[in-house]
Amino acid sequence: MIIHPSIIALFVSSLLVSFIVLYAAFYGLHILRKWDIQSGSELQLSLERKTYLISTFLNYILGFQLISLFLYLFVADHLHTFLVGAMCAAGSLYANDYGYPTLILKLINFLFVGVWLILNYTDNRADDYPLIKKKNLLLLIIAPLIVIETFSQGNYFLQLKPNIITSCCGSLFSNGNQSIRADIFALPINAMKTSFFLTMALTGISGLYFYFKGRGGYIFSGLSAITLVVSILSIFSFISLYIYEMPTHHCPFCVLQKEYGYIGFPLYLTLLVGAISGMGAGLTSSFKNIKSLADILPYIQKKLTFLSLALFTAFLIIVLYKMAFTNFTMEGYSM
Amino acid sequence: MGKTNEYKALNGINLNIHLNEVTVFRGPSGSGKTTLLSIIGCMARPTSGRIKFGEREISSLPERFLTEIRQKTFGFIFQQLNLIKGITALENVMLPSYPSGECYSSLKKRTMGLLDIFSIPDRAEAKVEWLSGGEAQRVAIARAMINNPAVIIADEPTAHLDSKLSKEFMGIMDLLKSEGKTVLIASHDPLIYESAIVDRIIDMRDGRIDGAMLS
Repeated sequence: MIIHPSIIALFVSSLLVSFIVLYAAFYGLHILRKWDIQSGSELQLSLERKTYLISTFLNYILGFQLISLFLYLFVADHLHTFLVGAMCAAGSLYANDYGYPTLILKLINFLFVGVWLILNYTDNRADDYPLIKKKNLLLLIIAPLIVIETFSQGNYFLQLKPNIITSCCGSLFSNGNQSIRADIFALPINAMKTSFFLTMALTGISGLYFYFKGRGGYIFSGLSAITLVVSILSIFSFISLYIYEMPTHHCPFCVLQKEYGYIGFPLYLTLLVGAISGMGAGLTSSFKNIKSLADILPYIQKKLTFLSLALFTAFLIIVLYKMAFTNFTMEGYSM
Repeated sequence: MGKTNEYKALNGINLNIHLNEVTVFRGPSGSGKTTLLSIIGCMARPTSGRIKFGEREISSLPERFLTEIRQKTFGFIFQQLNLIKGITALENVMLPSYPSGECYSSLKKRTMGLLDIFSIPDRAEAKVEWLSGGEAQRVAIARAMINNPAVIIADEPTAHLDSKLSKEFMGIMDLLKSEGKTVLIASHDPLIYESAIVDRIIDMRDGRIDGAMLS
């Protein structure tokens, strides 16, 4: 294990998050089995007091869980200086079998936790706990995933040794490789550009329609999810080329480095949070028949939609800025 | 629950309180009057059981909703008055309305209106420690009224008052009743529960209701 303050911070915080989430899930299970808002029993009243307390500190702890994805990327990028062969986070994560699985788990948990936070926020706006069972059911899914992530991350750091020779992103993320990764990076650039801008335009239009008319929530939600996938593929396929100003370098991690102005952090942050807000805005439409949420739900959806559209716009501006103000062109680079 | 020092302040209470009436909770010290009023007024939570205000269940509400209910639905008059020394009568009355964000001039106008109803407009700028017992009590009542609550809760309001001031207090409660307010008073003072304005007396002992009768 490489002893480094940021590794210790991630290690300890993940243990803390896991412990609290498990504790909350234990009560979540209790709530799913025993919750009865009509009852005035001592058990019910005790659950009501506890759920308020637990959801309050889960809010903060899961907020940190969101941040931990970026901290993990930052640490992985920082670690490349200690590992032979690594040039960025791509090589650091490749140093053992737990690096990439941890990253994938963190991404999955980022999405689940984002949805949980939206559910919790909505639930707390009503006075009769209308989403209590839904959010606790989701918590029961999140809790084991976070524990597995902590286990995987722990193994990654514990098994990380400076004498391991790993690969650089040049060999991992280049067109010449024979792998699924290489297939993704070899996606036709013009087709990906068209898909990217078309998806962004459709998401923007559906978001504006939902914002002003209050209809089409599910469409906006679905398009937000598609935008997330298409944008990530676009980063791999062509956005990275404009950032690196190299026609063959598709690494999704070098963008996190100082040489590129840490542009990867705002790029990924705006995309992920924008997608979660967009998905949440539409998905909450399924609660429109809940009486206690009837007044507040449109307001919450508007806020989420606005946030999503603002973040997608910010993401698009960053991409367009890199495409417009670069010396690099892909004329004559036929793909 | 099940602890050696467990004490049940209230037990088996099942009660409907009518709106626009004056209800007195009568009983000796330790009978649970204050606890019951605290729970009704959302100042404390029951271990079990529910409180409904109209159709709305209020005992299970999270704190952020309770704050609003305490502010808008209930006005409290305490036994010790609990006025804040060092600030004026006017500021004491205005204080519960500060979180509402109402503009100062409008709030001051409303406050002066209340002090006028209680015949102490000339004492508005006096610090509360300079007020007589009767004036301090009226300031406390005005403070309970500043958010125009539907229910006034008074806990042993005449415990430190002489007969004249106690009758004056009941006169003000009569005024509030005529304005459509619901008044709940915990007291074992005969001047209170024998008053003609009282609609209902609820006797309490050992945390239970002994019986209810119309006065």
